[in-house]
Amino acid sequence: MIDIAGILTANILNIVLITLGGALISLAVHFVPVGGAPAAMAQATGVGTGTVQLAAGAGLTGLVTAGAMMNVTDSMLLVLASGAVGAMIMISVTMIVGQWVYVYGVGCPPVSAKVKYDPITKDRQDLYVSQGTEGHGIPTVSFVSGVIGGALGGIGGGLVYYSLLIIENVAPTTEIVGIAAIFAIGIFFVNSVIPSYNIGGTIEGFHDPKFRRVPKAILSSLVVTFLTAIMGVLAIGGL
Amino acid sequence: MEPLTGMGVMALIGAAATIAGASEDLESDVGSQSNPNSQVQLAPQMMYPHRIFNKAVSGEPPSNALMCTIGGTVASVLMSSGTSIVLALTIGAILAAAVHGTFSVSAHLGRSASQKRFKQPVYLDIIRSHVPVIMGYSFITTFCILVVSYLMITVLQHPFPLPLLAFIWGITVGAIGSSTGDVHYGAEREFQNVEFGSGLNAANSGNIVRKAESGLRNGIDNSWFCAKFGGPVTGIAFGMTVFLSGWITVVFDTTKGDALGWASVIAGAIIVLVLIIWNRNIEVAARNAYGPYKEDEKAEVAA
Repeated sequence: MIDIAGILTANILNIVLITLGGALISLAVHFVPVGGAPAAMAQATGVGTGTVQLAAGAGLTGLVTAGAMMNVTDSMLLVLASGAVGAMIMISVTMIVGQWVYVYGVGCPPVSAKVKYDPITKDRQDLYVSQGTEGHGIPTVSFVSGVIGGALGGIGGGLVYYSLLIIENVAPTTEIVGIAAIFAIGIFFVNSVIPSYNIGGTIEGFHDPKFRRVPKAILSSLVVTFLTAIMGVLAIGGL
Repeated sequence: MEPLTGMGVMALIGAAATIAGASEDLESDVGSQSNPNSQVQLAPQMMYPHRIFNKAVSGEPPSNALMCTIGGTVASVLMSSGTSIVLALTIGAILAAAVHGTFSVSAHLGRSASQKRFKQPVYLDIIRSHVPVIMGYSFITTFCILVVSYLMITVLQHPFPLPLLAFIWGITVGAIGSSTGDVHYGAEREFQNVEFGSGLNAANSGNIVRKAESGLRNGIDNSWFCAKFGGPVTGIAFGMTVFLSGWITVVFDTTKGDALGWASVIAGAIIVLVLIIWNRNIEVAARNAYGPYKEDEKAEVAA
């Protein structure tokens, strides 16, 4: 018989850290400039794919680098930084190559349709929006926002993975690594889907008015991740 | 591990990832998957029936993750029973391609048949000619990702099991293909009937180009066009992602202490900074080269 109360009380810090990691992922997704299907036709600013897809792609790359680092060090900070860097590299490479396609393949300058002036470069935006579209490409403000989102997502994913992996149990480490990674991926997907309801297909980054809806998503993520954290801790701690 | 061995393996991983990225994008162009397929799906409803393969089994990341996980699981089982590694990875990739081919046929038939009321025919010759190409590309993608995952586990000592690593790289290659190469297909190839660089007015939705360089356009014509730009850049993107995220830990060997671990983190941050600056340069160059679409109203009034 598994001692449920015992496992939960022994790992209360892990549950808190996982919940925090989930909330970080949820916050991160709001930073990532996604344009969904319209952006794939250069009709909206941002990367031309879905919210969950891009956030998961970046976050999971962060998980690969965090997992590699976790194999060789005990430092939590280093694992989290490594996760952040992996996710940042993935998202910046995706955004810059996407930019090549928008500029050289489609012939549209990168522009935001949500603000008149780019908050970072102060460049005029509205004149460069082509007729009948909501912007196109990835302007500097969206690029920087995406990098911040990648970093937060990588830290969040790394935090979840790290907290799951240090739970005490009697199973062999090689098996725990797989189970912890699958739980971390699951928690990542849950927390990428929740912000999608806020984003509704497209968001340009932190300068987008939709970004103000963040608190609701974080609150939902805290609740959902708390429940999934309890399940994860019980599943791994009970082995 | 010897630094030279590490760099050699990273080069091999980068090359395999580049091929995987390019073939993933071309697979999604032949079969018309992901976001641009919304236009292929919409066209018959706007009275533009066409001969383009219409599948979109699911979003590209889950679809590629499924392929790679099937391949990784089969290869993992075969390797544990003593099969040679190359054979195990090949059989895994063949089975993954077969499953993907099955989904492609059912998705295409279902999507086309559901548009009967819009007079969209179901072309059997399109299925016969396209499905082998789709399966071929998905075989290449899966095999290359399995090679990347296998090398990471055996040589670079990554702790994740093969199917899990293949799953993660499957999600990532799908996310990258959907974000980069697909834009070339969706924003340029499907709408070559509007002037280059004029932007795609939402009112044009569904009015995709249906005539090819010769005859009527199909998915293979689309992959011919996208193989010139969209496919290769997707390959570069995925290759860069896999290579750069691994390279920083090979150059600064993290197994030799936390100090080198932090150095690898700093190296990664510098790479990201360089990319931000590069992106800004492209933005400025594009604004100067293409110019604004409309005049500033205040400037007009002043003049």
